[in-house]
Amino acid sequence: MRKFLYVIGFFAATLLINDAQAQCNADTFTDACIPKLSSGFNFLKSYKIDGAGGSKTKVEYSYVFTKGTQYMINICATGDNTDGIVVSLFDSKRNQVATSKVEGQFISAIAYPCNATGIYYITYTFDNSTQFCGGSALGFKR
Amino acid sequence: MRTLSFVLIFLVVLSACDSGKKPSIEEITSEEEADSTASETIIDPELIAAILQQIPSPLEISVLLQRSGTKYDGSLLNNPDNTSKYNSNYQKAINLGIYGTDLGYTNIYEQNQDGLEFMSAISTLAEGLSIGQFFELATIGRLATNSKNLDSLLLITTQNFNNINAHLQEQDRSNLSVLLLVGGWLEALHVTCQVSAKDPSNQELIDVIGEQKIILEQLELLLSFYSTKNPNMKDLHESFLRLKTAYDEIEITIIPGEPVSKVVDGVLIIENTDRSEVKITQENVDNITSIVEEIRTKAIN
Repeated sequence: MRKFLYVIGFFAATLLINDAQAQCNADTFTDACIPKLSSGFNFLKSYKIDGAGGSKTKVEYSYVFTKGTQYMINICATGDNTDGIVVSLFDSKRNQVATSKVEGQFISAIAYPCNATGIYYITYTFDNSTQFCGGSALGFKR
Repeated sequence: MRTLSFVLIFLVVLSACDSGKKPSIEEITSEEEADSTASETIIDPELIAAILQQIPSPLEISVLLQRSGTKYDGSLLNNPDNTSKYNSNYQKAINLGIYGTDLGYTNIYEQNQDGLEFMSAISTLAEGLSIGQFFELATIGRLATNSKNLDSLLLITTQNFNNINAHLQEQDRSNLSVLLLVGGWLEALHVTCQVSAKDPSNQELIDVIGEQKIILEQLELLLSFYSTKNPNMKDLHESFLRLKTAYDEIEITIIPGEPVSKVVDGVLIIENTDRSEVKITQENVDNITSIVEEIRTKAIN
């Protein structure tokens, strides 16, 4: 019985430590991202990017983009850069149309003029991220 | 050996708590369909949230109308004095969505006086649904008095509606969130159809009406989850099925292209050569308009 309690205690402690590491206050980053949308873009949605301390490999959202509308998606994370967070855009057939990692550089915003109405998938992945935590905003203009 | 068994059971329970992999919408949908024979349908909150977040903001259509040179027409909107008619949560939620679109439309056209009346109507309905805390009437009223505050006004109203949707889902009241979005979308489509009827040569509007097929499919799916739980939702779902049948004739084709990108001032700009084409006739538009008017009239009265 004592052995069993030790095991339970060990796993509980591990869970607590993981949980502490995984604390992500994504709201702070989404709030910071909204005013960073370029001039002329109207705010639509904010997205939380919580990689749960690295246990999640990607965070995905989707949105119906409309032909004739330009969309902007930006990323905010710890510090001035994106902390290794990469946003990629996929069309309704899951073909990649854009990614914010270009030639090894992490770009903090994508502008996408949509010519084909449909469901698009907005996927955030982590590339050598330290915090696995960030926020993002989606805006539009015509 | 006993300890090992305990550890194994513990690990199995742990892994069942969070597998770390979220099922896709397609996977959950097929599971829901498979379960539909069960006596009571279980609605997965993850599926509802995933579909709800896809629905575009009606503000996009208001901006399209304004940019295309269409004049403001307040007579197309729901009467802000109608709030006293809405007694059930169903009526309050669907009309909250309708007024939300109307407010966005008045904001885009900088019709501040009308906007204030819609704001008041929204506040009344929100209070009735116990979500009044999301609307600071004083702040919004102050912003609405000056056209220089348009960006802030649009931002704060969009955030309020996003917060309401998140709150309703957290409170296990996603049915109201669905009605909010259905009402908003229905009103935007109603305005587009009416403006198109006045200017049938505007192909951009006709295409927008046709493209709503994609969103209608999502909304119809959402309504289907609640149609067995509430007679009003059942009735609304049946109306949406008729609208969906009218949309069946419309074809949306994607002609693929190759995306090209460049970085300008720290922003990655995509130049996409993909394009979509909508096959829709004036007869289709008239049929859709007629069904939309029928559904909306029932919703606002």
